Amino acid sequence: MTSQDHPPVSRFAWITRELGVVVAGSSLVVLVAATLQLSFGAYPLSPVAAWRTLVDPTVLLSGGAWNAFLFGGPVPAYETGTLVTWTIRLPRVLVGVLVGMNLAVSGAILQAVTRNELASPFVLGVSSGAGLAVLLTVVVFTGFLPYLPLFAAVGGGVAFLLVYGIAWQGGTSPVRLVLAGVIVSSVFGSVQTGLFLLLEDVGVIQSVVAWTTGSLVGADWARVRMILPWTVVAVGAALLGSRQLNVLTLGERTASSLGMSVEHARFGLSGVAVLAAAASVAAAGIVGFVGLVVPHVVRRLVGTDHKRLLVGCAFAGPALLTAADAGARLALNPAQIPVGIVTGLVGGPYFLYLMRKHRDFGGF
Amino acid sequence: MGDPTSGTDADDGSLSTVSLTLEYPDGESPAVDGVSLTVDPARITALVGPNGSGKSTLLKGLSAQLEPTAGRTVLDGREVATYDDTELARRLGILHQETDGVERLRVEELVAHGRYPYRRFLERPSEADIDAIERALSLTGIERLRDRPLADLSGGQRRLAWLTMVLAQDTDVLLLDEPTTFLDLRHQLAVMDVVRGLRDDVGTAVVVVLHDIEQAARYADEMVVLSDGVVAARGPPAEIVTADLLADVFGIEATVETDSQGVRIRPVRPLPRPSDDRPR
Repeated sequence: MTSQDHPPVSRFAWITRELGVVVAGSSLVVLVAATLQLSFGAYPLSPVAAWRTLVDPTVLLSGGAWNAFLFGGPVPAYETGTLVTWTIRLPRVLVGVLVGMNLAVSGAILQAVTRNELASPFVLGVSSGAGLAVLLTVVVFTGFLPYLPLFAAVGGGVAFLLVYGIAWQGGTSPVRLVLAGVIVSSVFGSVQTGLFLLLEDVGVIQSVVAWTTGSLVGADWARVRMILPWTVVAVGAALLGSRQLNVLTLGERTASSLGMSVEHARFGLSGVAVLAAAASVAAAGIVGFVGLVVPHVVRRLVGTDHKRLLVGCAFAGPALLTAADAGARLALNPAQIPVGIVTGLVGGPYFLYLMRKHRDFGGF
Repeated sequence: MGDPTSGTDADDGSLSTVSLTLEYPDGESPAVDGVSLTVDPARITALVGPNGSGKSTLLKGLSAQLEPTAGRTVLDGREVATYDDTELARRLGILHQETDGVERLRVEELVAHGRYPYRRFLERPSEADIDAIERALSLTGIERLRDRPLADLSGGQRRLAWLTMVLAQDTDVLLLDEPTTFLDLRHQLAVMDVVRGLRDDVGTAVVVVLHDIEQAARYADEMVVLSDGVVAARGPPAEIVTADLLADVFGIEATVETDSQGVRIRPVRPLPRPSDDRPR
């Protein structure tokens, strides 16, 4: 038999050179972006000084400091440079990393579930639900302002369930899910815009715009604490479901004849994607394009296997978001623009490039 | 003739239907109306019939994808609806008609998906998985394409790749929905030779929907002719394919000859149908 002279197990090694390049390249981008973020600002530090404070053993090995960062305890007294790096600039980078990871992984899942390479984390209504929740909180339920991130995430989740309910007719289909997403988004979007007109305070309007375009300004350890557990859960669950994602992309009839319960898998995996997206909305607002562009780019580099794709996304997402945030922070220094504006400016031309360059654009 | 050790025990992939009736929610009349048939191991059963006669629907009924409104489908002594999803997928494989949209997948990755019903959560591919994949690749003879993405293949090679995936499922029963449609002649023969090999060497029970009656007659041991959801004729092709059958079921005038190669059909012209004149 031919099966004996074929080296079997190594053929299924899923870590490829391409994936290694994506992981290493993305890590490098994150490091460079982090260095920029840590050194520039009202309190300038040289890159070397910034990194020196980061590896400062009096912080790194201090229980009190980590208690402050991870559990919200009181921050021990340090010199200004250390405090600026550790309590203001580093958490912003970390939130960027986690948001980028969530959005990219979420996009990769939803592109498989809907079998559409142009799907994004926000295709199933998450952004419109979150946006409406933000507006409602700001305009109507002003007493709940401190819970704004939570409300945004819940709004996104509710919109997702609504989309699923609308799409359900004894089962769902990718097309019905996407259409239901469009329906919910357009209705919620209108209500959201209507509410906008009731706002009078320019400061409030600006903060709402920051929310609905996505911004990392003011991201602190509290936000790291908020998003980190959900990121771990969502990325872990996504990796566990990678084989289900692979089979789902073969089409639902094939998936079901291979013995998969397609509806369960689809709902569960969509739920994971929405969880990841909602957590990122709670931490940074609605950052567009990351969840659309990153899975796209990574798929071109590592292929369609979802274990590879998801791992690639978990690195490339943070790279895009931290780089964009460094741009958002430095472009009009000292003024800061929402990171979502930069990702949109980068994402649009990328698709234009794809459209011109590749004729097979859109297929899996 | 099959393997004598697996001749008649209840676990070898015998599939049968008893007065199976299948309806679509919005259909006016049943798409399949009271069909009883038996599919035996190590035999090729061809389903033929004009468009809309219920061939593909019958396949759905055989594979528990459509719940019968009456009657039942029984696999190895148990009704198919009582199998759980993966259990059924280990015994019964289906090659669907439309298979596209995964252009960037490599052939080997596609074939490996055929092992989905065998691999438990988080488990690595076992020796058995790898053997089944290699065996499937050698059955269809596409080992040399294993590292190519589907986008690089011709339509015929792609169909073979999908067939290989279904073969990796290692099932006793195999349902094929028009596996040769749209393929060039060479690949049609390649696909049907694989099917023949499965019957002769593996002892698989094969049900194949075919558009080409002559092809069906050439490869099938048993032919089931469907017309408007009911069985119009069944039996060995040489016995049932006649000029009368072609006129009655397919609405064509044709001459039929039988020679050593099988059945030869020479179509002459379409016959006017009584229903064509009647206003609807």
